[in-house]
Amino acid sequence: ANSLRLYLTCIRHTLEAAMCLQNFPCQEVERHNKPEVELKTSTELLLNPVIICRNESEKCLIETSINSLRVSLKMKQSDEVENILTKKFLRFLCMRAEAFQVLRRKPVQGYDISFLITNFHCEEMQKHKLIDFIVELMEDIDKEINELKVSVSTRGRLVATEFLKQFV
Amino acid sequence: AEFEEAENAEAIFSRIENKSRKIESLLKQYKPVEALKTALEGSPPQTKDERCKSANWIVVHRAIMAIKDVDSLFSSLDPEYYDVLMKYLYRGLSTGDRPTCDQCLRIHEKLTQRAGLGCILRSLADKVNTV
Repeated sequence: ANSLRLYLTCIRHTLEAAMCLQNFPCQEVERHNKPEVELKTSTELLLNPVIICRNESEKCLIETSINSLRVSLKMKQSDEVENILTKKFLRFLCMRAEAFQVLRRKPVQGYDISFLITNFHCEEMQKHKLIDFIVELMEDIDKEINELKVSVSTRGRLVATEFLKQFV
Repeated sequence: AEFEEAENAEAIFSRIENKSRKIESLLKQYKPVEALKTALEGSPPQTKDERCKSANWIVVHRAIMAIKDVDSLFSSLDPEYYDVLMKYLYRGLSTGDRPTCDQCLRIHEKLTQRAGLGCILRSLADKVNTV
């Protein structure tokens, strides 16, 4: 529990420092405004990407640029059941990315879920609330997956008991 | 920050060797803070050679893992080393190795309390002196 607290504190501090976004119109194309962290065309607009690992299976990639910030998370997946549950649950969330505004429809390669925060989000919404949202989401997803796993095994047990009663 | 290919790789490697010997002797005398100071001196190496940076990282990693008491670390470490230490902490966090990450997370929390968010931002923004 302590390592989880340290991990989340580290991510929170890094996000607070990295979320320094300002409007920056596209340099290549007139009248376009694109999130530079997605395109990565000009190196002078990008900051160093940072990976924060808690252990071998959980990590967080934070990439910043002048007008946007991308946070990618990899969740702990100890066995096959958790693997499938995590994938399905996060796919469910990603399909409804419009409603979340900061969620990315597809996670970055190698990660389970990604957020894209642009300067427009920071202008409309409060910075510390955005960071609270991301950190709370990390905690809640862990709890949800555990609950789902417990309910899957409970249901499996009930179904098996009922089915095998006919052979008793 | 100024950047010049000041020395060639061999000179840097021999410097790192010397540092590593000094650090081993300091650790035997139970002086982990001194060891860390020695490791951070002259870091990051002013070169683009990845091997030099990796060699320096191994030395700093040894010193970081030997630290037991994080609070005493900050009472004796000079502020000029905070930025470099933060860069090495992020390198440690990217390795994914559990004991390294635990230690780096512990030091990171205390270092942020001491040095503030500016330290983190300087380590993100400095693309010239990377570790």
